[in-house]
Amino acid sequence: MLDSRPRILSVGTANPPERYRQEDLLERYRVADPRLRSLFTSSHIRTRHLYLAPAGPDGAPVESQGELLAKHRRGAMEIGPQAVEKCLAPLGLTVKDIDYLCCITTTGFLTPGLSALLMREMGFREDCSRVDIVGMGCNAGLNGLNPVSSWALANPGKYALMVSMEICSAAYVFDNSMRTAIVNSLFGDGAAAVLVRASEKDERAFAPKILGFNSHIIPEAVGAMRYDWDDTVGKFSFFLDRDIPYVVGANAERPLARLLATHGLRRRHIAHWLVHSGGKKVVDAIKYNIGISEWDVRHTHSVLRDYGNLSSGSFLFSYERLLAEGRVRRGDYGVMMTMGPGSTIETALIRW
Amino acid sequence: MFETLSFNDGGVHADVAVLTLKRDRINVRQIRELERVCDQLEDHSACKVVVLRGHSLGIDFTDFDPKEALDIHGFNKWEKLVSRIERLPKITVAALDGPCVGGGFQLALACDQRVCTPAVTFSLPEVKLGFLPGMATYRLAKYVGVGHAKRLMLTGAALNAEDALRLGVVDDVDPDLDAVIARTLTALGPMHAVAGTLARRLLLESFHTEPEDAIGHFLAAQHRAISQAAFLDTLAKERG
Repeated sequence: MLDSRPRILSVGTANPPERYRQEDLLERYRVADPRLRSLFTSSHIRTRHLYLAPAGPDGAPVESQGELLAKHRRGAMEIGPQAVEKCLAPLGLTVKDIDYLCCITTTGFLTPGLSALLMREMGFREDCSRVDIVGMGCNAGLNGLNPVSSWALANPGKYALMVSMEICSAAYVFDNSMRTAIVNSLFGDGAAAVLVRASEKDERAFAPKILGFNSHIIPEAVGAMRYDWDDTVGKFSFFLDRDIPYVVGANAERPLARLLATHGLRRRHIAHWLVHSGGKKVVDAIKYNIGISEWDVRHTHSVLRDYGNLSSGSFLFSYERLLAEGRVRRGDYGVMMTMGPGSTIETALIRW
Repeated sequence: MFETLSFNDGGVHADVAVLTLKRDRINVRQIRELERVCDQLEDHSACKVVVLRGHSLGIDFTDFDPKEALDIHGFNKWEKLVSRIERLPKITVAALDGPCVGGGFQLALACDQRVCTPAVTFSLPEVKLGFLPGMATYRLAKYVGVGHAKRLMLTGAALNAEDALRLGVVDDVDPDLDAVIARTLTALGPMHAVAGTLARRLLLESFHTEPEDAIGHFLAAQHRAISQAAFLDTLAKERG
């Protein structure tokens, strides 16, 4: 019997042209407080691609919320199209072939949203359906892949494109507090696109089938990760609770157990783990709670090291690195796992 | 059921599974049966400790098709099995009653504790035969240091039980194997599988983890341990 479940046919990623070491930021914005400095230098991040404003009179950049939002839009329209091109070009496709577009972001609220802007920028067909997922945070890539995969299944043979565009440098607040320094030392800018289609024609393509999803929300930790308005600075500001790694760790087994049980699988059957590069501590918490090895999270770590936390697109950067490595074999199972505000853990099962 | 081993899970004591090797040499069938035992221990077993009983003269190359060249994938499969035993979600005790050679020694090294009778010897003759003693090149040095490991591997010399005890390769020696097993199980109790296996994992990782990373790993593991019922009980008792 031919298998027509949706498959991830391609992936493409892009980042802003400028790349910074952690020390470069400290120098650029003249960060002197040793506590703040150590947050940057002791993290497991070496470089990040960012759209950085020039230093202000006292070092810290001076950007209004309006300027930040303009940066979000400009940045998304620069790297979003690049990621889409890289995703489609290897298959000889263009945006004219796309029937459904899902855009994901948390770094700015715009109406019309990024999907409309991207369609105009790149010349999608006028009858391409679209949806925007805005404000769901780091986990949103799987919150997007779930409906994208359902749409593909309901519309066999048609191409669905999901694009994550996170301009985290448009969400930066510099006020010399620990709260903002944690955020400013962690997040990077990046875009990632994946192409999904359910078609028997892809039977022989080396592209994983999307077998299912499982979600988990932790209502008691609703405030642990927030991007909300800060009246004192007149900007949206990220907040990350220090207990996030432990909240996520303590819950990580649950959606995973349900996901695997649905498909009659055990953890040992999973050859590839694509875990969101949330930060060193949260990755450690996942490792020791679900019992996976340092090797299993090698791409999670290397993406964090080279790009920082790219929010909703991070796990797709890991996915791209996994494919580039050339170790995946037909029949291998993979688990995708993302975590973020809610607090939530999202999982997906794929099979090559 | 099994041909090359016997497996009794919970028959004598609910917390204990006993796996007995019934073959002098490890053949393909025994590897497959050991994999099946691992499946059972990972998926269904309520036991807390596994006793791996017996001895082994190592891998039986006569069991492989003589017309086929040995390829590296077979060795990979073997190493995966040894790692799997090393990481079982149970505490493992190797109880040895005869020579542990090559692959047999490797299996013992993958266990959490090793006990034996005085006549038992340990050796890795592989290098003398022109190949490598598996990932014993990695594990043995952690137990005895690189110096002793080099001597044992390069000379193929057998280590007797007394020297093995002195070097830390075995934890206890007694002519009465049942007695030493009972003593070891008592010493390991009360057994908390989560805390025990997390401690084992951190120890296995200790030689090659940077201190900055190790503290993060420890905190993640400790949080898991203190979230378990076992620790919450301890805490409730301590606090009256």
